[in-house]
Amino acid sequence: MGMRALFGWLLAVGLTLASGAAQAHPHVWITATSELLYAADGSVTGVRHAWTFDDMFSAYAVQGLESKTKGAYTREELGPLAQTNVESLKEYAYFTFAKADGKKERFQEPIDYFLDYKDTVLTLHFTLPLKNPVKPRQLVLEVFDRSFFIDFQMAKDNPVKLVGAPGGCQMKLDRPSDGSATAQKLNEQTFLNGENSNFGMMFANKITVDCP
Amino acid sequence: MKQHLSPPARGLIACAAVVLVAIVADAALHDLLAQNPFGAPRPTQAAEPEASGIVGWLLAKQSEFYRQMSSTIRAAKSDGSAVWTLLFISFAYGIFHAAGPGHGKAVIASYLVANRETARRGIALSFASALMQSLVAILIVGISAWVLNATAKTMCRAEGAVEIASYALIAAFGLRLVWVKGGAFIRALQTTQPVPAIAGVPHVHHHHEIHDHHDHDHHHHDHHGHDHAHAHHHHGHDHVLDEHCGHSHGPTPSELAGPGGWRRGFAAILTVGIRPCSGAILVLVFALAQGLFWAGVAATFLMGLGTAITVAAIAVVAVSAKDIAARFSAGRDGGGALFMRGIEFGAAGVVLLFGVGLLFGYIAAERTTCF
Repeated sequence: MGMRALFGWLLAVGLTLASGAAQAHPHVWITATSELLYAADGSVTGVRHAWTFDDMFSAYAVQGLESKTKGAYTREELGPLAQTNVESLKEYAYFTFAKADGKKERFQEPIDYFLDYKDTVLTLHFTLPLKNPVKPRQLVLEVFDRSFFIDFQMAKDNPVKLVGAPGGCQMKLDRPSDGSATAQKLNEQTFLNGENSNFGMMFANKITVDCP
Repeated sequence: MKQHLSPPARGLIACAAVVLVAIVADAALHDLLAQNPFGAPRPTQAAEPEASGIVGWLLAKQSEFYRQMSSTIRAAKSDGSAVWTLLFISFAYGIFHAAGPGHGKAVIASYLVANRETARRGIALSFASALMQSLVAILIVGISAWVLNATAKTMCRAEGAVEIASYALIAAFGLRLVWVKGGAFIRALQTTQPVPAIAGVPHVHHHHEIHDHHDHDHHHHDHHGHDHAHAHHHHGHDHVLDEHCGHSHGPTPSELAGPGGWRRGFAAILTVGIRPCSGAILVLVFALAQGLFWAGVAATFLMGLGTAITVAAIAVVAVSAKDIAARFSAGRDGGGALFMRGIEFGAAGVVLLFGVGLLFGYIAAERTTCF
């Protein structure tokens, strides 16, 4: 049953692929600004994020929360939610991936985290200290959700700030353009090299800092 | 198939088939794993099928519609006509959303293939499960957020519990299918040796295969379907899930609506429909926060309708593909029947693997909005 078997397995493969392929569709949108924190000696110590959620998710997140004034939430009232957020984010490695001169760097648990609620949207602020401060020639920081449940966009204005960086450091931001054009272009490359073909990566925001 | 296979040889073939199913399913699982948000990045990954231009476009469209929902619900507070826009957007979102396939579609498609269901039943199942999905979302949000004013954290826990239950259901459903289909497959293996084509051979298994054979030869199912139902009684199979050929001629509407008709599909509907879509939950909570819960409910139903249309289309494709395979395999020898039983068994295996994979977090399903 050579041909038939082949056809059958092709059918089976086709079916499983067709039915199992893309889980990816964003339900949460985050507009992010990030600050890279530098120590006096010029080494990078961590990242400070401010992530603003879309209004639909914000409404979901504050559902049922007690507040003194209706429709307004203070930082204190949002404290437990911020706590839950950073705890849950750990599972996703805070959607933040750093490489110093090509070497992966790890982060400690977030510090100085809080939420604020303004114009019906929530913004989560938190600092991720690097486990080991580094002083690379090139630092690459990527912010994205590999499963693309969350769509990260860096803010239009001042998306990245270098805080206390040595003079001469150059920052470059590569955004995932919103449309499918980037996805398509990247896809051709990923088809070619097979490696680093990672779906969510196509939606990565890539911050590159070159220091002399 | 060669004639007169010795039992060990048969055993080998059976094993090989199981291994093949496992390999195919495993490849599918690895594909899914690519989206797994957990754990360290996996750089060595085969090219993703979904990253094509079409899916890219689907994603873009879907995001577009979804993002318009919140502003439209806001607008509906002051302008009633915005509700119509909302309904249209929800419907469109449902269509596009379902086009990026999730496990629900996989389970329905596999179930239809495993059970030799008709396209018509596939469509009915798609609509019923989408309706149930909408109802579950509305119930979760209606009870926890509206009635109890629970927090997102609590809702999330409820969602999580429902999610685990649904995965367990898929696994159980798959196990049941594998059990039944595995039996049919093994019997097909045992009967692939040529036997005289005598109708009414007391041996039920032979009966089974011969008729199947006939069926494919003639490219129609009518006659065979009823005969088969008889053979089944001899087998003593469970008729709830094991919907063999009884309906392969296409059920009349009365058959579908009959108690047996729905009961058979109910397991599939329940399995797929119990897990609500995160998108629907978000929209409902958002609508509730705007004081327009009913608009959220309407949007959820329209989303479900859109989803149903896409899932039904996928179901029809799955059923047609299987029919084509049946024709290809029809005729020449008992291997054709064996082959079809093999596909059914494989499809049953896929359902089981999906269930187990989802349950143990091997497959990242659409995440619930917990964080």
